[in-house]
Amino acid sequence: MREEPRLTISAVLPPIVLAALALAAPRFGASAYVQILIYYFAYYLTLGQAWNLMSGLTGYVSFAHGALAGIGAYAAVMALNAEWSLALGLLMGPAVAVVASLLIGATSLRLRGVPFTFATLFFQELALLAVRKIPQTGGPGGLALQDILPIWLPQALMIVLACAATLLMAGVRQSRLGIRLLAIKGDETAALSLGLPTGRLKLAIFCLSAAVAGAAGAIHGLFTASLYPDVVFNVDVSLTSLAAPLIGGVATAAGPALGALLYVGVGELLEIFAPGLHTAVIGLLLLLVILFMPSGIGPFVAARLRTSARPTNAPESAAHKAAE
Amino acid sequence: MNAVLEVSGIDKRFGGLHAVRALSLEVGAGELVGLFGPNGAGKTTLFNMIAGALKPDAGVIRLNGQDITSLPAWRRARLGLARTFQITRPFRELTALENVLAAVPREGATQRRDARSARNLLAQVGLGDRAGEMAGRLTMGMLKRLEVARALAIEPILLLLDEPLAGLTERESAELLDLVVGLKQHASVVMVEHNVRQAMPVCDRALVLDAGALIASGKPAEVRADPRVVSAYLGVEAEASC
Amino acid sequence: MTLALQLLVNGVVAGGLLALVALGLAVIFGVMRVVNFAHGEFVTLGAYVTWLLAAQMGLPPLLGVPLSFLIGGAVGWVVQAIIIQRVAARPSLDVLMVTYALSALGLGLFSLAFGGDFRSYSAGPSGELRILGASIGYRSLTVLCVCALLTTAVLILLRSGRLGLALRAVAQNRDAAASSGIDVHRTERVAFSLAVGLASAAGSLVSLIGTTTPYVGHDWVLDAFVVVVIGGLGSVTGAILAALAIGLVQSVCGFALDDAWAKIITYALLYAGLLVRPRGLFGEQAEV
Repeated sequence: MREEPRLTISAVLPPIVLAALALAAPRFGASAYVQILIYYFAYYLTLGQAWNLMSGLTGYVSFAHGALAGIGAYAAVMALNAEWSLALGLLMGPAVAVVASLLIGATSLRLRGVPFTFATLFFQELALLAVRKIPQTGGPGGLALQDILPIWLPQALMIVLACAATLLMAGVRQSRLGIRLLAIKGDETAALSLGLPTGRLKLAIFCLSAAVAGAAGAIHGLFTASLYPDVVFNVDVSLTSLAAPLIGGVATAAGPALGALLYVGVGELLEIFAPGLHTAVIGLLLLLVILFMPSGIGPFVAARLRTSARPTNAPESAAHKAAE
Repeated sequence: MNAVLEVSGIDKRFGGLHAVRALSLEVGAGELVGLFGPNGAGKTTLFNMIAGALKPDAGVIRLNGQDITSLPAWRRARLGLARTFQITRPFRELTALENVLAAVPREGATQRRDARSARNLLAQVGLGDRAGEMAGRLTMGMLKRLEVARALAIEPILLLLDEPLAGLTERESAELLDLVVGLKQHASVVMVEHNVRQAMPVCDRALVLDAGALIASGKPAEVRADPRVVSAYLGVEAEASC
Repeated sequence: MTLALQLLVNGVVAGGLLALVALGLAVIFGVMRVVNFAHGEFVTLGAYVTWLLAAQMGLPPLLGVPLSFLIGGAVGWVVQAIIIQRVAARPSLDVLMVTYALSALGLGLFSLAFGGDFRSYSAGPSGELRILGASIGYRSLTVLCVCALLTTAVLILLRSGRLGLALRAVAQNRDAAASSGIDVHRTERVAFSLAVGLASAAGSLVSLIGTTTPYVGHDWVLDAFVVVVIGGLGSVTGAILAALAIGLVQSVCGFALDDAWAKIITYALLYAGLLVRPRGLFGEQAEV
């Protein structure tokens, strides 16, 4: 039972501690392979939190976050290639992603769910087509980062970003904003009747989530150092941004961490044993989780632990039955 | 001194059906007004237009003198117009406390909207011990009270209740009506109800609609005895028994 | 003049195929209020079934149309019964994600089974017909005719007979339909199977005039989504008209600029359209 909405130490400490451990991993002799796994864990976690901020809290499904990250990557790489400073160049990632999110949001967030989802779906296609066409982005041949940076830099940045994104999600979830967004998810009509300016709230959180995705993309651009539109804006990228929260736990800060862990773990196992199965297995995993553990594995397990800890169930369930 | 709610010449047609015919009414401060009438009289249509869920074809609606006719529902809430729903709409994934905290207080509200004041509101409606409970787990009677608590969180000047007694037993209805009467100290209340027997006596004023027009308005005792009201209801009953 | 005619012909062929795919989406949304993200995978199914028929078994590819329809419909029946039905009562986020997960699963299975190679076959109609200076390949002509046939059949089905009545009743008012004695669950199952069967039939035709890859359905379905958004979710006439319009627009733009620009313009128009008329041009939108 949740009482006061409050950001507790138990919510803030784990991400910071884990991030510190991850950053220190190379010192403890972690191999390059492990460091790359940690990097991808952080990347999927960040994308997952970005998606979670929007879709987990409002219930408006976005397929744009992979593309928003991709735009962030291109913006950052182009800025850095144009001799911008590292900080400014990286900042272009979230900045351009936010502008793009305003385009999508302004056209479709005034409406309820489905048109928004379509708008995000088309956005990914549009981004792919546009980037392939515009000469400045290098077209289908791709774009390379001219000054390759040392690999530890994007790795460290991504770990820090993942930690920040998780804390952001936890903070928003516990705040009045989080409650109001969940109210929109629960019943938008009722939310409106309680004075919530739903259109503005949705747009605001969408832009915030786009900034996080754009930042993740910018750092990833540094990491991969070369961008190909067919890879960056592939159909699968939208899958990566929503897999972690959907599998691990929607609308919670810890859920995407669990999901990202599973996603990376399953991905690695498949790489070793059955490379062609990746999409199918992830699809199947998603399907099973949604069918049997709708809010994700995390909340499902948490709820089970809660009910087994409660002493008397009988009056509770009678009241519950009466409400159904 | 402005009436809290002023409805002038409100009209609505649905194709060939003239649901509300150039209707006017007023609600004063601290009044509990009941809106009654047989099925199809236009009560719900009128209610929805006042609440902002439906656009009138003609007419003006004023809240404390301010024209709200073309304002969307959330802006009306900001001005102090709160409503409940006939079929409750709780935020199931939030606790009762969070349900109340979700509301945005009206402009010029004096009370701080924090967890403590939210708990007070829940206690006022009799849900004090359910604050941490998931709304999805509450019984229907409790959900109705939660609707009221949420609406009160806006610190409304006008509270619209949409058939609050629907689906409740006689005893539950009596209890909820006690609560409703107590709300008068906070705001003016307009209540649409089918349950004439229990709801009309507690109102300060009763309005009766039939076929989109106001056929009676006054104290409950007078209205109940009004022959036009009797025939409006009986007429429907007589038809139904054919 | 001949150019205009040629563009018109190309546009109508593409539009006809698009209409067939979009029709299914419109029916599913209309009857079940579900956006079927797995629709594309049924198109891909039909394409591969027909490829197997024509390239591997040496049978006439046109047999693939009814066969794909049946296979797609059967798979759809099972999927609806054991998966979609289970989540029907849940919030729309869940249902959406279920069809999305199915789509990912389907895509993965096709990639696994057939690899990423481009598949095509030469069997089937060949040559072209010359009319008024415009040329239309017999393959395209066949596609157009079958599309017109199937679309007409669906329209007739929806307008008459008990099934059509049941479908429209459930689409308009689920509860009232149930109280009238209509088996709503069965109707939904039929709607879904019919819709994805159509998609598979469309996929069969797609394989006739294009190449087949695991992504082929996805590409067509994206355009189909554009069609239903413009035409109004749940509106069958809207879907058909919007499909023809999109087919023509892309044919003209594809000629004047290039295919990529044609799509970019389509999407730009779509965003503009959403801004101005969010409910689409024809449909009575059901709020999710």
